[in-house]
Amino acid sequence: MASNFPKPEEKSLQALRDAANRLRLHSIRATCASNSGHPTSCCSAAEIMSVLFFHTMRYKPQEPGHPSNDRFVLSKGHAAPVLYAAWAEAGYIKEPELLKLRKIDCDLEGHPTPRLPFVDVATGSLGQGLGAACGMAYTGKYFDKASYRVYCLMGDGESSEGSVWEALQFGFHYKLDNLVAIFDVNRLGQSEAAPLKHDTDMYRKRCEAFGWNTYVVDGHNVEELCRALWQASQQKGKPTAIVAKTFKGRGISGVEDADNWHGKPIPKDKVESVLNSIQSQIQTNKVFSIQPPAQDVPEISYKDIKMPSPPAFKIGEKVATRKAYGLALAKLGNANSHVVALDGDTKNSTFSELFKQAHPERYIECFIAEQNMVSVALGCAARNRTIAFASTFAAFFTRAFDQIRMGAISQTNINLCGSHSGVSIGEDGPSQMALEDIAMFRTIPGCTVFYPSDAVSTEHAVCLAANTKGICFIRTSRPETPTLYSQEEKFEIGHAKVVRKNDADKVTVIGAGVTLHEALKAADELAKQGIHIRVIDPFTIKPLDANTIISNARATGGRIITVEDHYKEGGIGDAVASAVSGEPSILVQSLAVSGVPRSGKPEELLDLFGISAKKIIAAVKSTFAN
Amino acid sequence: MEDYHKPDQQALQALKDAANRLRIHSIKATTAAGSGHPTSCCSAAEIMSVLFFHTMKYKPQDPRNPNNDRFILSKGHAAPILYAVWAEAGFIHESELLNLRKIDSILEGHPVPKQAFTDVATGSLGQGLGAACGMAYNGKYFDRSSYRVYCVLGDGELSEGSVWEAMAFAGFYKLDNLVAILDINRLGQSEPAPLQHHVEIYQKRCEAFGWHAIIVDGHSVEELCKAFGQARHQPTAIIAKTFKGKGITGIEDKENWHGKPLPKNMAEQVIQEIDNRIQNKKKLSPALPQEDVPIVNIKNIKMPSPPNYKTGEKFATRKAYGLALAKLGHACDRVVALDGDTKNSTFAELFKKEHPSRFIECYIAEQNMVSVAVGCATRDRNVVFASTFATFFTRAYDQIRMAAISESNINLCGSHCGVSIGEDGPSQMGLEDLCMFRAIPNSTIFYPSDAVSTEKAVELAANTKGICFIRTSRPENTVIYSSNEDFHVGQAKVVFKGKDDHATVIGAGVTLHEALAAAEQLKKEKMPIRVIDLFTVKPLDKKTILENARATKGRIITVEDHYYEGGIGEAVSAAVVGEPGITVTRLAVSHVPRSGKPAELLRMFGIDKEGIIQAVKMAVSKSRNAE
Repeated sequence: MASNFPKPEEKSLQALRDAANRLRLHSIRATCASNSGHPTSCCSAAEIMSVLFFHTMRYKPQEPGHPSNDRFVLSKGHAAPVLYAAWAEAGYIKEPELLKLRKIDCDLEGHPTPRLPFVDVATGSLGQGLGAACGMAYTGKYFDKASYRVYCLMGDGESSEGSVWEALQFGFHYKLDNLVAIFDVNRLGQSEAAPLKHDTDMYRKRCEAFGWNTYVVDGHNVEELCRALWQASQQKGKPTAIVAKTFKGRGISGVEDADNWHGKPIPKDKVESVLNSIQSQIQTNKVFSIQPPAQDVPEISYKDIKMPSPPAFKIGEKVATRKAYGLALAKLGNANSHVVALDGDTKNSTFSELFKQAHPERYIECFIAEQNMVSVALGCAARNRTIAFASTFAAFFTRAFDQIRMGAISQTNINLCGSHSGVSIGEDGPSQMALEDIAMFRTIPGCTVFYPSDAVSTEHAVCLAANTKGICFIRTSRPETPTLYSQEEKFEIGHAKVVRKNDADKVTVIGAGVTLHEALKAADELAKQGIHIRVIDPFTIKPLDANTIISNARATGGRIITVEDHYKEGGIGDAVASAVSGEPSILVQSLAVSGVPRSGKPEELLDLFGISAKKIIAAVKSTFAN
Repeated sequence: MEDYHKPDQQALQALKDAANRLRIHSIKATTAAGSGHPTSCCSAAEIMSVLFFHTMKYKPQDPRNPNNDRFILSKGHAAPILYAVWAEAGFIHESELLNLRKIDSILEGHPVPKQAFTDVATGSLGQGLGAACGMAYNGKYFDRSSYRVYCVLGDGELSEGSVWEAMAFAGFYKLDNLVAILDINRLGQSEPAPLQHHVEIYQKRCEAFGWHAIIVDGHSVEELCKAFGQARHQPTAIIAKTFKGKGITGIEDKENWHGKPLPKNMAEQVIQEIDNRIQNKKKLSPALPQEDVPIVNIKNIKMPSPPNYKTGEKFATRKAYGLALAKLGHACDRVVALDGDTKNSTFAELFKKEHPSRFIECYIAEQNMVSVAVGCATRDRNVVFASTFATFFTRAYDQIRMAAISESNINLCGSHCGVSIGEDGPSQMGLEDLCMFRAIPNSTIFYPSDAVSTEKAVELAANTKGICFIRTSRPENTVIYSSNEDFHVGQAKVVFKGKDDHATVIGAGVTLHEALAAAEQLKKEKMPIRVIDLFTVKPLDKKTILENARATKGRIITVEDHYYEGGIGEAVSAAVVGEPGITVTRLAVSHVPRSGKPAELLRMFGIDKEGIIQAVKMAVSKSRNAE
């Protein structure tokens, strides 16, 4: 196969070497100007970037976000300056702009973010790029069925991250032959050598054991790189890994391959001679003709996706919100063909299997690898190619908190559904109970947190999530609870529902999910005793409907009791407390889970942790006692 | 191979019999509970039998004896079989097994350390091996003792990257006292695991990660005995080909039986069938361990000398952390430190320089770092501090969550919090870490604002139960406390106070220094304010906050280098929201930040001196208008 390799002419190879050196010059100059940054991490990747951007990749340099373009993910995000340099060489960025690196009024940030049109996913938290690249490659191969290819450049330090191996397994399992991972094995990490140093054979063994077609190359040899990348394009049924042996700070004398140069610009007194030395190796000043991509990506457009029919649940009907999620998602899939679902081998618990049954070709099984599932979702949603919903137990999204955090920086629109929230799952015990998920998702910038309390509102949450920018989280519950809302009920983000109201109400109780039903039971019981309480279903915890909460609190003597199947910190109680913190006359009491719970029956645990109807009644009564 | 003595037929039969008894216990218990995972137990029956009654050395009546071999059930949903072996070993009464998953029994759905034989809680998959690595590292390099560490993993959880982080760690540190048993039973929860029964791929992967890997028939006690007998100078992986539900007619190797107990009548019949295979009812006893573990004392650790800073001196709290930790290392030789290739940024390298043999480089694998820390801290063997950028602890949130369930006492230090790190941009800024750690049960959150209080935080963390988090900052700030200042968990400091203060401003870290600058300015403008340093965000000193809020017209302003949600502002709001007449104005970071100079970013998000002054003036005029 290698014998058919269309070897570039010597002239072209020299042009690629020259381009690599120009990338070095740009990276060194930019980091000197910003007086911070990682020039040595750029220099090890100069030839890789040159060959990718000016030989291998097919794209429109003036339209970096074009859906037909090959994708590039810089997983080693700290090498951002060499990425910016490549786009300057490609003509998209003006060269003087590079010198504004890391300045507050310039989008060339310390690490890549999608404020730049050529960045699909933010990087800088290591080991996350390949998972996103997997999502893009999966989308290209199975959803778009288009010819664009996906390239991901990784550092050797970050290959210690388990998320990289989750992604390698995924790429192998789904035969992503449109995906190439390039390992820039420059030997040195931040504070010492990476564990495998220059043992490229060990990297090869690991990649091969994970099922990848693997080549070891001299990462500073443009010809070897051209050949390996061409071979990758000929490979069918397997993704390709290119293990590139490189040197950190390559081309900078006295710095190349030396310790203690991570994240340090070249000192002012040295830089002139370094630049001169690199400049002197440049022989040509060729303007590249970058190959355009094949225009074979299907046009897609989706705005204002609507459910094909209203919710089909009857008031009083018992349905678990987790099941309502699966039903709603399957239905949404009928409304729009770009809705895709992912799960991590919990589909029979989260009920995403209902989507799989209805739309098998749009379901991605991610197995037990939540970090990678979130990254794949991010990749699928990049360039608005799909509307991605990923689900697992809410507790297990903690496994992917860093990926979710980076998802927000990536301005992604993924939707995540976490089932099995709270102690109400019962016997499985604390390891399976989500009790910190509301806190986690609330602190994600721009995130919408849905906490539906019945099947109808769950269906609305799914539809709203599909149409809402930013990350959406839907928290579902395991127990079956009665349907509260009619088919005609309208739901909006940030609009709470007052579900129990009487002019004589003395206190406002705010619950969600199972605790809303406990609150309603408490209200019924208290009403028998002549005590009336108002009950609010917040529907979304973020944004929180502060107006409805405050006006109802005022109407009920300024008293609020929050009750939630979540730890005290960062949940509904905290959200309500901070929403009313400017109101000196409103008092909030929070009922929530304190301390690590245990196994037991759901109703036993609700009572043990003080969030049952009984405990709400007691709290209401003690409010009057004070 | 030379130390492998093949057990005789009788011994092998006894192990087979024990395996079948474990099956029966598991089936009975889950049927009684009406939930649980009997099929996941059955695939591991021979593995458990051989481990507990042939290979492992331990005192069955003293499961937490430090000399014992360690056992971690990473596939925690197979808990019933773990309880079953301890019943067989005589530590649990057989009748207790039938209380599985009940609210008044310690035999929970997944293992938790209220069981003396459980060191770390499992049930969130893929976490056991990292903890096992910590125990093995401790045994080999700190305790230098002969106990060995065994970890049983399921095949489904081998998709978790954390497993491969642990594999790389054990290979790198040549943990030859560690054995991982992979129970390759083919089936996951909702479908087959991705590699099904391709044991040779698992073998290749383990070998590529530096392990000695042996494929065995996981239902052959003889093959298992032989495999466990092989000594190596590297960690060993036993790749056991098994069948889920092995021994249960009609269910073995079948889909859709994950996490489902057998119906009562079916259970009775199956139990009868399995019982018929048992030839000898005699209980087995394990071999006892060597008593060669050193006695350690990690209680009441005191710094050898008071802090050595002068007030007014400029010092980054992250550096003060490194210095304090190095100092603490002199006070106790069981203080150990871990870092994830950020030691020159977190300053954990200062500890490494003084105590190189007690520093564990975990490389860029934060999940595994936390699990290794948890493993090192089990059985009170060490006082463990692990550090990285605060924001990268999000990578290990599941491990931290499980550490709380494990009742671990690990200490975590997160540097580079907030927008004040500047140019590196949002991916490197810890802006959700307070929220994350606050929601961890029984955690203590230190947010020291100068070098002196940082040193105190390190000392207090070493002596505090539960997970401790210390949040440090990148910029250099002024030392504000004298060396003899006393610090306590849950005790705030009033650092600026006048007679007619108009508001109480609560800050921490860089924002405390901004608040102090604002206080100086406002004093000149005749609008004096009070400033509080929380020291610990959790527990929060509600009393001091309320007293001062009441003394300052009920006005509180919080200012923090953190997102709005779950941080200082919410903690304070939640603490005072039950008290009438108090308002809280919160200043925090409102959206994804960007690269820029630290001062520019503090300004952009309104959490600098100017932002505080403006907020104070607004709060004052607002309440005057209200009057």
